[in-house]
Amino acid sequence: MNIIPQVDTYPRVVSFCQTTAGKAATLAAFAATLILNRVGPWIALTMVAAVITFFPARRRLMLSLGALYWLIFDHGWLRVDITRQIAKAEGQRTDWAFALMAGIVLVGVFCGIAAFVHHVRVQRLSFSSRRPVLVLVCGFFAVLMAAGTLPLHGLARVLVWLLISVLAPYLWFFAYALTDAASKTPERLEVQFGFIRPFWMGEFGSFVPIAKGAAYLRKVEAKTPKDFAIVQLKAVKLLMWVFVLKSLEWVFDRAMHGGTNHLLQRLFQVNNLPNLGIPTLAAAYQQTAAGGRLPLPLAWGCVTANFVEALLSLYVVGNVAVACCRMAGFHALRNTYRPFQSQTLVDFWNRYYYYFKELLVEFFFFPCYLRYFKKHPRLRLFAATISAATAGNLLYHFGRDYSNVAEVGFWKAVSRFEVQATYALFLGVSIGISQLRNRRERKAMSLPRRVFASATVILFYALLQTFDPEDRVYPLSVHVTFLWNLVQP
Amino acid sequence: VADRVAIREFLQALLRNIDDTEGFSDSDSLIASGRLQSIDTLEVVLFLEENYAIDFAERGFDLNELDSVDAIMTLLGN
Repeated sequence: MNIIPQVDTYPRVVSFCQTTAGKAATLAAFAATLILNRVGPWIALTMVAAVITFFPARRRLMLSLGALYWLIFDHGWLRVDITRQIAKAEGQRTDWAFALMAGIVLVGVFCGIAAFVHHVRVQRLSFSSRRPVLVLVCGFFAVLMAAGTLPLHGLARVLVWLLISVLAPYLWFFAYALTDAASKTPERLEVQFGFIRPFWMGEFGSFVPIAKGAAYLRKVEAKTPKDFAIVQLKAVKLLMWVFVLKSLEWVFDRAMHGGTNHLLQRLFQVNNLPNLGIPTLAAAYQQTAAGGRLPLPLAWGCVTANFVEALLSLYVVGNVAVACCRMAGFHALRNTYRPFQSQTLVDFWNRYYYYFKELLVEFFFFPCYLRYFKKHPRLRLFAATISAATAGNLLYHFGRDYSNVAEVGFWKAVSRFEVQATYALFLGVSIGISQLRNRRERKAMSLPRRVFASATVILFYALLQTFDPEDRVYPLSVHVTFLWNLVQP
Repeated sequence: VADRVAIREFLQALLRNIDDTEGFSDSDSLIASGRLQSIDTLEVVLFLEENYAIDFAERGFDLNELDSVDAIMTLLGN
Protein backbone atom coordinates (compact mmCIF):
# COMPACT_ATOMS: atom_id res chain seq x y z
CA MET A 1 0.00 0.00 0.00
CA ASN A 2 1.33 3.44 -0.88
CA ILE A 3 0.80 6.28 1.57
CA ILE A 4 1.10 8.79 -1.25
CA PRO A 5 -1.09 8.04 -4.30
CA GLN A 6 0.94 7.20 -7.42
CA VAL A 7 -0.65 10.07 -9.37
CA ASP A 8 2.13 10.12 -11.95
CA THR A 9 0.93 6.71 -13.18
CA TYR A 10 -2.71 7.78 -13.71
CA PRO A 11 -3.11 8.52 -17.46
CA ARG A 12 -6.00 10.98 -16.96
CA VAL A 13 -4.09 12.96 -14.34
CA VAL A 14 -1.00 13.06 -16.55
CA SER A 15 -3.10 14.28 -19.50
CA PHE A 16 -4.78 16.93 -17.35
CA CYS A 17 -1.42 18.20 -16.08
CA GLN A 18 -0.42 19.01 -19.66
CA THR A 19 -3.28 21.53 -19.98
CA THR A 20 -3.07 25.13 -18.74
CA ALA A 21 -5.47 24.41 -15.87
CA GLY A 22 -3.55 21.26 -14.99
CA LYS A 23 -0.24 23.12 -14.97
CA ALA A 24 -1.74 25.75 -12.67
CA ALA A 25 -3.09 22.99 -10.39
CA THR A 26 0.33 21.29 -10.26
CA LEU A 27 1.98 24.61 -9.38
CA ALA A 28 -0.62 25.25 -6.67
CA ALA A 29 0.02 21.77 -5.24
CA PHE A 30 3.77 22.44 -5.39
CA ALA A 31 3.37 25.74 -3.52
CA ALA A 32 1.04 24.14 -0.95
CA THR A 33 3.47 21.29 -0.23
CA LEU A 34 6.36 23.76 0.08
CA ILE A 35 4.32 25.72 2.64
CA LEU A 36 3.41 22.50 4.47
CA ASN A 37 7.11 21.69 4.66
CA ARG A 38 7.85 25.22 5.87
CA VAL A 39 10.20 26.00 3.02
CA GLY A 40 10.96 29.70 3.54
CA PRO A 41 11.42 30.93 -0.04
CA TRP A 42 8.35 29.09 -1.38
CA ILE A 43 7.16 32.12 -3.34
CA ALA A 44 10.43 32.51 -5.26
CA LEU A 45 10.68 28.75 -5.85
CA THR A 46 7.11 28.62 -7.17
CA MET A 47 7.70 31.65 -9.39
CA VAL A 48 10.73 30.06 -11.06
CA ALA A 49 8.88 26.74 -11.40
CA ALA A 50 5.86 28.57 -12.89
CA VAL A 51 7.85 30.29 -15.61
CA ILE A 52 9.61 27.02 -16.50
CA THR A 53 6.26 25.18 -16.50
CA PHE A 54 4.66 27.57 -18.97
CA PHE A 55 7.79 28.24 -21.04
CA PRO A 56 9.76 24.98 -20.98
CA ALA A 57 11.72 26.05 -24.05
CA ARG A 58 13.21 28.84 -21.91
CA ARG A 59 14.24 26.41 -19.16
CA ARG A 60 17.97 27.18 -19.32
CA LEU A 61 17.44 30.94 -19.33
CA MET A 62 15.16 30.61 -16.30
CA LEU A 63 17.68 28.43 -14.51
CA SER A 64 20.27 31.16 -14.99
CA LEU A 65 17.88 33.88 -13.81
CA GLY A 66 16.89 31.73 -10.83
CA ALA A 67 20.53 31.17 -9.88
CA LEU A 68 21.17 34.91 -10.24
CA TYR A 69 18.15 35.73 -8.05
CA TRP A 70 19.43 33.52 -5.23
CA LEU A 71 22.96 34.86 -5.60
CA ILE A 72 21.76 38.45 -5.23
CA PHE A 73 18.97 38.11 -2.67
CA ASP A 74 19.59 34.96 -0.63
CA HIS A 75 23.30 34.10 -0.59
CA GLY A 76 23.63 32.75 2.94
CA TRP A 77 26.04 30.07 1.72
CA LEU A 78 28.71 32.69 0.93
CA ARG A 79 29.35 33.19 4.69
CA VAL A 80 30.34 36.82 4.21
CA ASP A 81 30.07 37.24 7.99
CA ILE A 82 33.38 35.41 8.49
CA THR A 83 35.20 37.67 6.04
CA ARG A 84 33.56 40.73 7.51
CA GLN A 85 34.96 39.77 10.93
CA ILE A 86 38.41 39.37 9.38
CA ALA A 87 38.07 42.80 7.73
CA LYS A 88 37.10 44.29 11.07
CA ALA A 89 40.06 42.64 12.82
CA GLU A 90 42.39 43.95 10.11
CA GLY A 91 41.07 47.49 10.50
CA GLN A 92 39.49 47.49 7.04
CA ARG A 93 36.15 48.99 6.12
CA THR A 94 33.09 46.83 6.61
CA ASP A 95 30.50 49.13 5.03
CA TRP A 96 29.53 49.48 1.37
CA ALA A 97 33.19 49.39 0.33
CA PHE A 98 33.45 45.85 1.74
CA ALA A 99 30.26 44.81 -0.08
CA LEU A 100 31.67 46.28 -3.31
CA MET A 101 34.93 44.40 -2.83
CA ALA A 102 33.03 41.14 -2.18
CA GLY A 103 31.03 41.73 -5.37
CA ILE A 104 34.18 42.36 -7.40
CA VAL A 105 35.80 39.16 -6.05
CA LEU A 106 32.63 37.19 -6.85
CA VAL A 107 32.49 38.50 -10.43
CA GLY A 108 36.24 37.90 -10.75
CA VAL A 109 35.89 34.28 -9.63
CA PHE A 110 33.03 33.64 -12.07
CA CYS A 111 34.98 35.26 -14.92
CA GLY A 112 38.03 33.18 -14.00
CA ILE A 113 36.01 29.97 -14.00
CA ALA A 114 34.35 30.93 -17.31
CA ALA A 115 37.82 31.41 -18.80
CA PHE A 116 38.91 28.03 -17.41
CA VAL A 117 35.80 26.32 -18.82
CA HIS A 118 36.50 27.93 -22.20
CA HIS A 119 40.13 26.80 -22.02
CA VAL A 120 39.06 23.20 -21.26
CA ARG A 121 36.72 23.24 -24.26
CA VAL A 122 39.26 24.69 -26.67
CA GLN A 123 42.68 23.36 -25.56
CA ARG A 124 41.68 19.74 -25.05
CA LEU A 125 45.17 18.29 -24.89
CA SER A 126 46.79 20.44 -22.21
CA PHE A 127 47.23 18.99 -18.71
CA SER A 128 44.79 21.50 -17.17
CA SER A 129 42.15 20.47 -19.73
CA ARG A 130 42.64 16.76 -19.16
CA ARG A 131 42.67 17.11 -15.35
CA PRO A 132 40.65 20.31 -14.75
CA VAL A 133 39.11 19.21 -11.44
CA LEU A 134 42.52 18.28 -10.06
CA VAL A 135 43.82 21.75 -10.98
CA LEU A 136 40.76 23.45 -9.48
CA VAL A 137 40.77 21.51 -6.20
CA CYS A 138 44.55 21.75 -5.73
CA GLY A 139 44.33 25.48 -6.48
CA PHE A 140 41.62 25.96 -3.86
CA PHE A 141 43.49 24.07 -1.15
CA ALA A 142 46.73 25.87 -2.01
CA VAL A 143 44.97 29.21 -1.45
CA LEU A 144 43.42 27.89 1.78
CA MET A 145 46.82 26.70 3.00
CA ALA A 146 48.44 30.01 2.08
CA ALA A 147 45.71 31.92 3.92
CA GLY A 148 46.21 29.80 7.02
CA THR A 149 50.00 29.75 7.10
CA LEU A 150 51.37 32.95 5.51
CA PRO A 151 51.61 36.11 7.63
CA LEU A 152 49.07 38.07 5.59
CA HIS A 153 47.75 41.38 6.91
CA GLY A 154 45.43 44.21 5.95
CA LEU A 155 43.71 44.30 2.61
CA ALA A 156 45.65 41.30 1.27
CA ARG A 157 44.27 39.07 4.06
CA VAL A 158 40.72 40.30 3.51
CA LEU A 159 40.98 39.69 -0.24
CA VAL A 160 42.34 36.17 0.18
CA TRP A 161 39.53 35.26 2.58
CA LEU A 162 36.93 36.80 0.30
CA LEU A 163 38.31 34.62 -2.48
CA ILE A 164 38.06 31.52 -0.28
CA SER A 165 34.55 32.31 0.92
CA VAL A 166 33.39 32.63 -2.69
CA LEU A 167 35.29 29.61 -4.00
CA ALA A 168 34.42 27.14 -1.21
CA PRO A 169 30.63 26.91 -1.66
CA TYR A 170 30.96 26.81 -5.44
CA LEU A 171 33.95 24.47 -5.62
CA TRP A 172 32.12 21.26 -6.52
CA PHE A 173 29.64 23.07 -8.80
CA PHE A 174 32.64 24.42 -10.71
CA ALA A 175 34.07 20.89 -10.74
CA TYR A 176 30.92 19.57 -12.46
CA ALA A 177 30.98 22.51 -14.92
CA LEU A 178 34.59 21.70 -15.82
CA THR A 179 33.79 18.00 -16.19
CA ASP A 180 30.96 18.93 -18.54
CA ALA A 181 33.28 21.23 -20.51
CA ALA A 182 35.67 18.31 -20.96
CA SER A 183 32.90 16.00 -22.22
CA LYS A 184 32.12 15.36 -25.89
CA THR A 185 28.90 17.39 -25.91
CA PRO A 186 29.33 20.24 -23.42
CA GLU A 187 26.62 22.71 -22.49
CA ARG A 188 27.01 26.21 -23.95
CA LEU A 189 29.21 28.39 -21.74
CA GLU A 190 26.55 31.07 -21.30
CA VAL A 191 23.98 28.64 -19.90
CA GLN A 192 26.38 26.87 -17.53
CA PHE A 193 25.68 29.59 -14.95
CA GLY A 194 22.18 28.23 -14.31
CA PHE A 195 23.64 24.88 -13.27
CA ILE A 196 26.10 26.42 -10.83
CA ARG A 197 24.21 26.46 -7.55
CA PRO A 198 20.82 26.26 -9.29
CA PHE A 199 17.65 27.68 -7.78
CA TRP A 200 16.63 24.34 -6.24
CA MET A 201 19.59 24.53 -3.86
CA GLY A 202 17.48 27.33 -2.31
CA GLU A 203 17.50 26.69 1.41
CA PHE A 204 19.79 23.65 1.19
CA GLY A 205 22.96 25.30 2.47
CA SER A 206 25.18 22.31 1.68
CA PHE A 207 28.13 22.60 -0.71
CA VAL A 208 27.13 19.29 -2.34
CA PRO A 209 25.58 19.89 -5.76
CA ILE A 210 22.15 18.27 -5.68
CA ALA A 211 21.49 16.77 -9.12
CA LYS A 212 25.18 17.15 -9.97
CA GLY A 213 25.83 19.32 -13.03
CA ALA A 214 24.83 20.07 -16.60
CA ALA A 215 26.05 16.73 -18.01
CA TYR A 216 23.76 14.68 -15.74
CA LEU A 217 20.83 17.08 -15.97
CA ARG A 218 20.92 16.99 -19.76
CA LYS A 219 20.53 13.21 -19.56
CA VAL A 220 17.53 13.35 -17.24
CA GLU A 221 15.74 16.35 -18.73
CA ALA A 222 12.07 15.86 -19.67
CA LYS A 223 11.90 15.81 -23.45
CA THR A 224 8.12 15.81 -24.05
CA PRO A 225 5.13 17.58 -22.43
CA LYS A 226 3.95 14.21 -21.07
CA ASP A 227 7.35 13.50 -19.57
CA PHE A 228 7.41 16.99 -18.05
CA ALA A 229 3.97 16.49 -16.49
CA ILE A 230 5.05 13.14 -15.02
CA VAL A 231 8.23 14.52 -13.48
CA GLN A 232 6.32 17.47 -11.99
CA LEU A 233 3.78 15.08 -10.46
CA LYS A 234 6.72 13.13 -9.03
CA ALA A 235 8.01 16.39 -7.53
CA VAL A 236 4.72 17.05 -5.72
CA LYS A 237 4.53 13.41 -4.62
CA LEU A 238 8.04 13.63 -3.20
CA LEU A 239 7.17 16.80 -1.30
CA MET A 240 4.13 15.05 0.18
CA TRP A 241 6.33 12.17 1.29
CA VAL A 242 8.83 14.68 2.71
CA PHE A 243 5.96 16.15 4.74
CA VAL A 244 5.14 12.70 6.16
CA LEU A 245 8.77 12.23 7.18
CA LYS A 246 9.08 15.76 8.50
CA SER A 247 6.07 15.08 10.74
CA LEU A 248 7.67 11.82 11.81
CA GLU A 249 10.89 13.73 12.56
CA TRP A 250 8.94 16.13 14.76
CA VAL A 251 7.19 13.32 16.65
CA PHE A 252 10.42 11.33 17.01
CA ASP A 253 12.33 14.35 18.30
CA ARG A 254 9.65 15.12 20.91
CA ALA A 255 9.35 11.46 21.92
CA MET A 256 13.10 11.21 22.44
CA HIS A 257 14.00 14.57 23.95
CA GLY A 258 10.70 16.23 24.89
CA GLY A 259 9.73 19.78 24.01
CA THR A 260 6.74 21.99 23.73
CA ASN A 261 4.14 22.76 21.14
CA HIS A 262 2.10 25.97 21.07
CA LEU A 263 -1.08 24.27 19.85
CA LEU A 264 -0.92 21.51 22.47
CA GLN A 265 -0.09 24.08 25.13
CA ARG A 266 -3.11 26.15 24.19
CA LEU A 267 -5.56 23.25 23.79
CA PHE A 268 -4.52 20.90 26.59
CA GLN A 269 -2.20 23.02 28.76
CA VAL A 270 0.55 20.46 28.11
CA ASN A 271 3.87 22.18 28.83
CA ASN A 272 6.27 19.35 28.17
CA LEU A 273 5.29 16.39 26.05
CA PRO A 274 5.80 12.91 27.51
CA ASN A 275 9.16 11.64 26.34
CA LEU A 276 11.93 9.10 26.93
CA GLY A 277 14.35 11.73 28.23
CA ILE A 278 17.11 10.69 25.84
CA PRO A 279 19.94 13.25 25.92
CA THR A 280 21.32 14.71 22.72
CA LEU A 281 24.70 13.44 21.53
CA ALA A 282 26.26 16.82 22.38
CA ALA A 283 25.01 16.48 25.98
CA ALA A 284 26.29 12.91 26.14
CA TYR A 285 29.77 14.04 25.00
CA GLN A 286 29.74 16.84 27.52
CA GLN A 287 29.05 14.33 30.27
CA THR A 288 31.70 11.91 28.96
CA ALA A 289 34.27 14.73 28.77
CA ALA A 290 33.52 15.59 32.40
CA GLY A 291 34.25 11.97 33.38
CA GLY A 292 30.60 10.95 33.73
CA ARG A 293 28.82 8.05 32.12
CA LEU A 294 25.29 7.64 30.87
CA PRO A 295 23.31 4.54 31.88
CA LEU A 296 23.53 1.99 29.06
CA PRO A 297 19.90 2.25 27.85
CA LEU A 298 20.20 6.04 27.67
CA ALA A 299 23.54 5.85 25.86
CA TRP A 300 22.16 3.44 23.25
CA GLY A 301 19.00 5.55 23.01
CA CYS A 302 21.23 8.53 22.35
CA VAL A 303 23.07 6.72 19.52
CA THR A 304 19.78 5.58 17.99
CA ALA A 305 18.16 9.00 18.26
CA ASN A 306 21.19 10.74 16.77
CA PHE A 307 21.24 8.36 13.82
CA VAL A 308 17.52 8.51 13.06
CA GLU A 309 17.39 12.30 13.45
CA ALA A 310 20.38 12.79 11.12
CA LEU A 311 18.78 10.48 8.57
CA LEU A 312 15.36 12.14 8.67
CA SER A 313 16.84 15.62 8.60
CA LEU A 314 18.98 14.80 5.55
CA TYR A 315 16.01 13.13 3.89
CA VAL A 316 13.88 16.23 4.34
CA VAL A 317 16.31 18.96 3.22
CA GLY A 318 17.93 16.96 0.42
CA ASN A 319 14.69 15.77 -1.09
CA VAL A 320 13.05 19.22 -0.97
CA ALA A 321 15.90 20.30 -3.27
CA VAL A 322 15.35 17.23 -5.48
CA ALA A 323 11.62 17.98 -5.69
CA CYS A 324 12.31 21.56 -6.80
CA CYS A 325 14.73 20.22 -9.40
CA ARG A 326 12.02 17.87 -10.66
CA MET A 327 9.59 20.78 -10.92
CA ALA A 328 12.04 22.33 -13.36
CA GLY A 329 11.67 19.22 -15.51
CA PHE A 330 14.61 17.03 -14.53
CA HIS A 331 14.17 13.39 -13.50
CA ALA A 332 16.72 13.70 -10.72
CA LEU A 333 17.11 10.72 -8.44
CA ARG A 334 16.29 11.12 -4.77
CA ASN A 335 19.04 12.25 -2.42
CA THR A 336 18.04 9.72 0.24
CA TYR A 337 16.18 6.59 -0.79
CA ARG A 338 15.12 3.71 1.46
CA PRO A 339 18.37 3.51 3.45
CA PHE A 340 16.97 0.85 5.79
CA GLN A 341 16.77 -1.58 2.88
CA SER A 342 20.55 -1.54 2.44
CA GLN A 343 22.21 -4.89 2.79
CA THR A 344 25.80 -3.82 2.37
CA LEU A 345 27.81 -0.87 3.64
CA VAL A 346 28.34 0.44 0.14
CA ASP A 347 24.63 0.16 -0.60
CA PHE A 348 23.77 2.21 2.48
CA TRP A 349 26.30 4.86 1.50
CA ASN A 350 24.63 5.01 -1.87
CA ARG A 351 21.13 5.35 -0.46
CA TYR A 352 21.89 7.66 2.45
CA TYR A 353 23.35 10.72 0.74
CA TYR A 354 23.31 9.94 -2.97
CA TYR A 355 24.71 13.18 -4.36
CA PHE A 356 27.57 13.35 -1.86
CA LYS A 357 28.48 9.79 -2.76
CA GLU A 358 28.25 10.68 -6.46
CA LEU A 359 30.60 13.63 -5.89
CA LEU A 360 33.14 11.37 -4.21
CA VAL A 361 32.76 8.62 -6.83
CA GLU A 362 33.09 11.00 -9.75
CA PHE A 363 35.97 13.16 -8.50
CA PHE A 364 37.92 10.70 -6.35
CA PHE A 365 36.93 7.07 -6.95
CA PHE A 366 37.07 6.90 -10.74
CA PRO A 367 40.18 9.08 -11.24
CA CYS A 368 42.06 6.73 -8.90
CA TYR A 369 40.45 3.53 -10.20
CA LEU A 370 41.22 4.31 -13.83
CA ARG A 371 44.86 5.20 -13.23
CA TYR A 372 46.40 3.12 -10.48
CA PHE A 373 47.04 -0.55 -9.64
CA LYS A 374 45.47 -1.81 -12.85
CA LYS A 375 47.27 -5.14 -12.55
CA HIS A 376 46.01 -5.75 -9.01
CA PRO A 377 42.19 -5.79 -9.18
CA ARG A 378 41.53 -6.07 -5.45
CA LEU A 379 44.07 -3.44 -4.48
CA ARG A 380 42.77 -1.25 -7.30
CA LEU A 381 39.22 -1.35 -5.96
CA PHE A 382 40.32 -0.88 -2.35
CA ALA A 383 42.63 2.07 -3.14
CA ALA A 384 39.92 3.80 -5.17
CA THR A 385 37.43 3.33 -2.32
CA ILE A 386 39.87 4.78 0.21
CA SER A 387 40.58 7.68 -2.10
CA ALA A 388 36.84 8.49 -2.24
CA ALA A 389 35.43 7.55 1.17
CA THR A 390 38.46 8.61 3.19
CA ALA A 391 40.59 11.16 1.30
CA GLY A 392 37.76 12.76 -0.69
CA ASN A 393 35.45 12.78 2.29
CA LEU A 394 38.07 14.54 4.43
CA LEU A 395 38.97 17.05 1.74
CA TYR A 396 35.33 17.91 1.17
CA HIS A 397 34.69 18.54 4.87
CA PHE A 398 37.94 20.43 5.39
CA GLY A 399 37.09 22.73 2.50
CA ARG A 400 33.52 23.12 3.68
CA ASP A 401 34.66 24.08 7.20
CA TYR A 402 37.24 26.59 5.97
CA SER A 403 36.23 28.94 8.79
CA ASN A 404 38.30 26.68 11.11
CA VAL A 405 41.41 27.77 9.21
CA ALA A 406 40.46 31.43 9.56
CA GLU A 407 39.89 30.87 13.26
CA VAL A 408 42.93 28.87 14.37
CA GLY A 409 45.31 28.66 11.39
CA PHE A 410 45.88 25.85 8.90
CA TRP A 411 47.75 23.26 10.96
CA LYS A 412 45.59 23.61 14.06
CA ALA A 413 42.54 23.27 11.81
CA VAL A 414 44.07 20.06 10.44
CA SER A 415 44.55 18.73 13.98
CA ARG A 416 40.91 19.57 14.79
CA PHE A 417 40.01 17.03 12.15
CA GLU A 418 41.28 14.03 14.11
CA VAL A 419 37.76 12.80 14.85
CA GLN A 420 36.61 13.34 11.27
CA ALA A 421 39.77 11.60 10.04
CA THR A 422 39.05 8.58 12.23
CA TYR A 423 35.48 8.55 10.91
CA ALA A 424 36.64 8.77 7.29
CA LEU A 425 39.30 6.10 7.75
CA PHE A 426 36.84 3.64 9.32
CA LEU A 427 34.30 4.43 6.63
CA GLY A 428 36.80 3.96 3.80
CA VAL A 429 38.27 0.71 5.11
CA SER A 430 34.85 -0.75 5.92
CA ILE A 431 33.34 0.17 2.56
CA GLY A 432 36.50 -1.11 0.85
CA ILE A 433 36.14 -4.51 2.54
CA SER A 434 32.38 -4.49 1.85
CA GLN A 435 33.08 -3.81 -1.84
CA LEU A 436 35.54 -6.69 -2.08
CA ARG A 437 33.15 -9.09 -0.33
CA ASN A 438 30.24 -7.84 -2.39
CA ARG A 439 32.03 -8.53 -5.67
CA ARG A 440 32.88 -12.03 -4.52
CA GLU A 441 29.55 -13.11 -3.11
CA ARG A 442 26.80 -11.55 -5.16
CA LYS A 443 23.94 -13.93 -4.66
CA ALA A 444 20.32 -13.76 -3.58
CA MET A 445 19.80 -13.87 0.19
CA SER A 446 16.92 -15.36 2.16
CA LEU A 447 14.64 -12.97 4.05
CA PRO A 448 16.17 -13.61 7.52
CA ARG A 449 19.65 -13.09 6.10
CA ARG A 450 18.53 -9.89 4.40
CA VAL A 451 17.05 -8.58 7.65
CA PHE A 452 20.21 -9.51 9.55
CA ALA A 453 22.40 -7.86 6.90
CA SER A 454 20.32 -4.65 7.03
CA ALA A 455 20.41 -4.58 10.84
CA THR A 456 24.20 -5.00 10.85
CA VAL A 457 24.64 -2.23 8.30
CA ILE A 458 22.41 0.13 10.29
CA LEU A 459 24.19 -0.66 13.56
CA PHE A 460 27.54 0.02 11.90
CA TYR A 461 26.46 3.42 10.59
CA ALA A 462 24.69 4.37 13.82
CA LEU A 463 27.92 3.77 15.73
CA LEU A 464 30.07 5.43 13.08
CA GLN A 465 27.82 8.48 13.17
CA THR A 466 29.04 9.18 16.71
CA PHE A 467 32.40 10.08 15.08
CA ASP A 468 30.83 12.54 12.68
CA PRO A 469 30.17 15.59 14.84
CA GLU A 470 29.28 18.89 13.24
CA ASP A 471 30.80 21.04 15.99
CA ARG A 472 34.22 19.29 16.45
CA VAL A 473 34.37 20.39 20.08
CA TYR A 474 35.66 17.24 21.77
CA PRO A 475 38.90 15.35 21.15
CA LEU A 476 39.01 11.83 19.79
CA SER A 477 39.49 10.37 23.29
CA VAL A 478 35.98 11.55 24.31
CA HIS A 479 34.41 9.88 21.29
CA VAL A 480 36.33 6.65 21.90
CA THR A 481 35.38 6.67 25.60
CA PHE A 482 31.73 7.19 24.73
CA LEU A 483 31.87 4.30 22.27
CA TRP A 484 33.70 2.08 24.76
CA ASN A 485 31.08 2.82 27.42
CA LEU A 486 28.41 1.50 25.05
CA VAL A 487 29.78 -2.03 25.32
CA GLN A 488 30.78 -1.90 29.00
CA PRO A 489 28.16 -3.44 31.31
CA VAL B 1 26.60 -6.96 -34.15
CA ALA B 2 28.52 -9.45 -32.01
CA ASP B 3 29.84 -6.57 -29.89
CA ARG B 4 26.36 -5.17 -29.37
CA VAL B 5 25.06 -8.59 -28.31
CA ALA B 6 28.01 -9.12 -25.97
CA ILE B 7 27.53 -5.72 -24.34
CA ARG B 8 23.81 -6.27 -24.00
CA GLU B 9 24.32 -9.64 -22.37
CA PHE B 10 26.92 -8.20 -20.04
CA LEU B 11 24.61 -5.37 -18.94
CA GLN B 12 21.74 -7.81 -18.50
CA ALA B 13 23.90 -9.97 -16.24
CA LEU B 14 25.00 -6.90 -14.30
CA LEU B 15 21.39 -5.86 -13.72
CA ARG B 16 20.41 -9.42 -12.74
CA ASN B 17 23.13 -9.30 -10.09
CA ILE B 18 21.29 -6.47 -8.41
CA ASP B 19 17.91 -8.18 -8.76
CA ASP B 20 16.80 -6.03 -11.70
CA THR B 21 15.18 -8.31 -14.25
CA GLU B 22 13.26 -5.66 -16.20
CA GLY B 23 14.02 -5.42 -19.88
CA PHE B 24 15.71 -2.48 -21.57
CA SER B 25 16.21 -1.22 -25.08
CA ASP B 26 19.59 -0.32 -26.55
CA SER B 27 18.92 3.38 -26.07
CA ASP B 28 17.59 3.12 -22.50
CA SER B 29 19.58 5.03 -19.95
CA LEU B 30 20.82 2.74 -17.20
CA ILE B 31 22.99 5.00 -15.03
CA ALA B 32 21.13 8.33 -15.20
CA SER B 33 17.86 6.47 -14.57
CA GLY B 34 19.33 4.95 -11.41
CA ARG B 35 19.06 1.31 -12.54
CA LEU B 36 22.82 1.03 -12.38
CA GLN B 37 24.68 2.96 -9.72
CA SER B 38 27.77 4.83 -10.83
CA ILE B 39 29.74 2.45 -8.63
CA ASP B 40 28.35 -0.52 -10.62
CA THR B 41 29.83 0.98 -13.76
CA LEU B 42 33.28 -0.05 -12.64
CA GLU B 43 32.21 -3.53 -13.77
CA VAL B 44 31.48 -2.03 -17.19
CA VAL B 45 34.86 -0.30 -17.14
CA LEU B 46 36.59 -3.60 -16.32
CA PHE B 47 34.65 -5.37 -19.08
CA LEU B 48 35.65 -2.78 -21.68
CA GLU B 49 39.25 -2.68 -20.50
CA GLU B 50 39.59 -6.45 -20.63
CA ASN B 51 37.66 -7.15 -23.84
CA TYR B 52 38.28 -4.04 -25.91
CA ALA B 53 41.57 -2.77 -24.47
CA ILE B 54 40.13 0.65 -23.74
CA ASP B 55 42.35 2.80 -21.54
CA PHE B 56 40.04 5.32 -19.87
CA ALA B 57 42.94 7.03 -18.11
CA GLU B 58 44.37 7.79 -21.53
CA ARG B 59 41.21 8.73 -23.48
CA GLY B 60 39.27 10.41 -20.64
CA PHE B 61 36.27 9.13 -18.74
CA ASP B 62 32.68 10.23 -19.06
CA LEU B 63 29.93 8.28 -17.28
CA ASN B 64 27.49 9.28 -20.03
CA GLU B 65 29.49 7.17 -22.46
CA LEU B 66 28.55 4.05 -20.47
CA ASP B 67 24.91 4.96 -19.90
CA SER B 68 23.31 2.67 -22.51
CA VAL B 69 24.14 -0.01 -25.05
CA ASP B 70 24.05 2.64 -27.79
CA ALA B 71 26.37 4.95 -25.84
CA ILE B 72 28.87 2.13 -25.30
CA MET B 73 28.70 1.21 -28.99
CA THR B 74 29.43 4.84 -29.88
CA LEU B 75 32.37 4.75 -27.47
CA LEU B 76 33.69 1.59 -29.14
CA GLY B 77 33.16 3.16 -32.56
CA ASN B 78 35.32 6.10 -31.54
